[in-house]
Amino acid sequence: MHRILVADDEAAILRVLAMWLTRNGFEVFEARDGVEALAIIDSEPLDLIISDMNMPRLDGLELVRLLRETRHAQTPFILLSARSDRARLSEMTSRFDVRLYPKPFVPSRLVADIQALFAAAADPNECPAGRSV
Amino acid sequence: MASVMQSLRRFLTAEEVPRWFGLSIVLIYLVGLGTIAQYGMDHAREGGVRQVQRASLYAIHLLADRLSRTVSTETIDRSVRHQAALREFAAVIPLRWVRMVDGDGSVVASSSERGRTDRPAAPVRISTDAVLETWRIAGLEVFSVSGENDKFGELFVRVRVSERPEDASSVLTSDKVEPEEAGAESLWLEAYLLPEPIRATGWAGRAKTLTTVLILLGALFVVYRCLREQLRGVSHIAQRLQLPRERLEDDLHSLRLADTMGGVTTIWNELIDLTQRQAEAVLRADANRELSQALEKSGGGALAQAFSALPDGIIYVTEESRFDYVNSSACRLLGWKEEDIADQSLATAEGKGVAGKILDLMRDALTADGSFEERSVTLDASDDDASDHTAYRVRILPLQRAQHPGECVVLIRDVSQQVRSEKAREEFITQVTHELRTPLTNIRAYTETLSSGMFDDPKVITECYNVITKETRRLSRLVEDVLSISQMEVGNIDLQVSDVDLKALLSEGIRDVRGLSDEKNIDIQLECPAKIEPLQGDRDKLAVVMNNLLGNAIKYTPENGQVIVTLHFAADTAVVSVKDNGIGIAPEDHDRIFEKFQRADDREVLNQTGTGIGLFTARELVRRHRGEIELVSEKGMGSTFIIHLPHQVTRAHKVTQNREEAS
Repeated sequence: MHRILVADDEAAILRVLAMWLTRNGFEVFEARDGVEALAIIDSEPLDLIISDMNMPRLDGLELVRLLRETRHAQTPFILLSARSDRARLSEMTSRFDVRLYPKPFVPSRLVADIQALFAAAADPNECPAGRSV
Repeated sequence: MASVMQSLRRFLTAEEVPRWFGLSIVLIYLVGLGTIAQYGMDHAREGGVRQVQRASLYAIHLLADRLSRTVSTETIDRSVRHQAALREFAAVIPLRWVRMVDGDGSVVASSSERGRTDRPAAPVRISTDAVLETWRIAGLEVFSVSGENDKFGELFVRVRVSERPEDASSVLTSDKVEPEEAGAESLWLEAYLLPEPIRATGWAGRAKTLTTVLILLGALFVVYRCLREQLRGVSHIAQRLQLPRERLEDDLHSLRLADTMGGVTTIWNELIDLTQRQAEAVLRADANRELSQALEKSGGGALAQAFSALPDGIIYVTEESRFDYVNSSACRLLGWKEEDIADQSLATAEGKGVAGKILDLMRDALTADGSFEERSVTLDASDDDASDHTAYRVRILPLQRAQHPGECVVLIRDVSQQVRSEKAREEFITQVTHELRTPLTNIRAYTETLSSGMFDDPKVITECYNVITKETRRLSRLVEDVLSISQMEVGNIDLQVSDVDLKALLSEGIRDVRGLSDEKNIDIQLECPAKIEPLQGDRDKLAVVMNNLLGNAIKYTPENGQVIVTLHFAADTAVVSVKDNGIGIAPEDHDRIFEKFQRADDREVLNQTGTGIGLFTARELVRRHRGEIELVSEKGMGSTFIIHLPHQVTRAHKVTQNREEAS
């Protein structure tokens, strides 16, 4: 069972994502901001991280930077963003290997994409995703 | 020579002509005059003396002839006759003294009545060495003698008066004879001729004297003219230094001397040139000052004043890229001082920051043939980290005048405000988009959840409906916010004035945000008097104010924080305060956050979603109620927003409104 961390300060979004992912057979960890997310990353082995861009205390970009640079974890990362400044974001996402997912999103399509991601990772018979250290 | 020139330069640059200069010139010419006069005198005298000698000799000869005859015929009363003869002799030719001496040396007769004291007491012994010339004239012996002292220097004549003279008509011979020793029987006539050549007779002598005098007069005249010219020059300079300066140039030119006197003239003319150059420099400086004064007086002053008053910077560049005019706004924008930039050109001007960028731009626009290309550029002069944007729109407009290809006008406009508001607007659009997307995301996700059929738990379905309803309300509130902003921008907000129960308003406001505060476990307290009077105002608008303030308080207060809302009444105002123990606001941001689309420059704030319209709207609405919002906050120390709403004034406002409605 793939383990997915979902981080968003919007309770409603967190809730709907958790519903959909649980329903589709994933184990879901919920975080209300970047600091909480980091705590979970440090304590749980994860296969995917889905994070909102704007969060109090520690935002999505800072989270992925810490994940990649200080923890050297290559865990797949999906950044949910309603931001319109795509130029800056795409520069960061290519640097940190992040998939951008725009808001508003369709839950069924997001789930389908996640399943495809895991399928592709599993195909070459390798470890499907990195683990946090 | 160098030092002479140096002292002359010093003299020229001195304010007054020193007296020694004039005096020394006079002295030089006096010495010259003296030399020439001495020469003339010497020449004239020499010629004169010779004439006198010859004339005197002839006279002596005649006289001696008569004398000898007299002496030979008389024996008794001869001394008396001798005296008469001597007087006659002295009257004919100018003699210093004359006397008759006999053989043993006693003076027989003398011209002592002439009062001469310089004659020797005894007969003059004439040595052979002293005899210059000797003539035998009709039996007389005449010696030209160089005297033993100066007194006898010119012509001493000694005649032996013989008892029997030979024929006097045999005139002069110039055979040299040996002087004889005086014998007892001899009688001598001794005479010393006066050295007064000017009075000498004879046309040749007069002509020479006249020539000498003429030469002297001529020399004097020339010297006088030179002196007069130069003295006049000196006094001219002294005068010109006080004269109106526009005449100086011509006058100086007239002071130049013809090159007739060699070195002195050259130096003099160099002096004049030097003075002229200095005068020109002074004239130029004066002209500039006068021009600006004239501009000041005439319409130009008004024009220059108008240019100075313009907020835009103007630089007028004339040929050779010289900065002819820089208005005060340009100086202010570019950090120049007007005196610094005057007389500068593009080549020499320096500038830091924006000024440097503008100069670079101008140099770039300058083509090889010295004219300017038209440019229009927006220069960003912001510091890298500054949130205040500084930007200038610079236009280089070449002037289309064929004779002056290098002329242009540079216009500099401070567009910082436009750039800032543009940035703020972009930020606002970004934020609004984000704010719109969040409820839309929720609505969309929950709608799909409902329609997917995958979740059939009734609790989930109810939850979905609740979220959709809530988010729809949030969306419509956001749309209203944006609308109200545009309404406020055009200035038409209609207050629907009625009695407002502030206590109820505050309670409802707190209830509206309860959902948000519960999420972060923030405690909201309301403190207000038990009994309050209703306030005149627009209930909905005041509700928006409270919602914005409470929303901010919750948003910027960490979990488990506290928000306290209080209401009390001062004289004729109702005071509502919303106090939180959140992140606080730095004092430098206090004014800014009330501006449209502006948010505190704080990472913690910018991490939160927000459009920067909440506080702007709140303040506008409070002001429409003739109230004011006050902020008390320190960074990290929580914030307190205090609303003062006039109690009585609003009532009075209502009354006038009613009256208007009635009329």
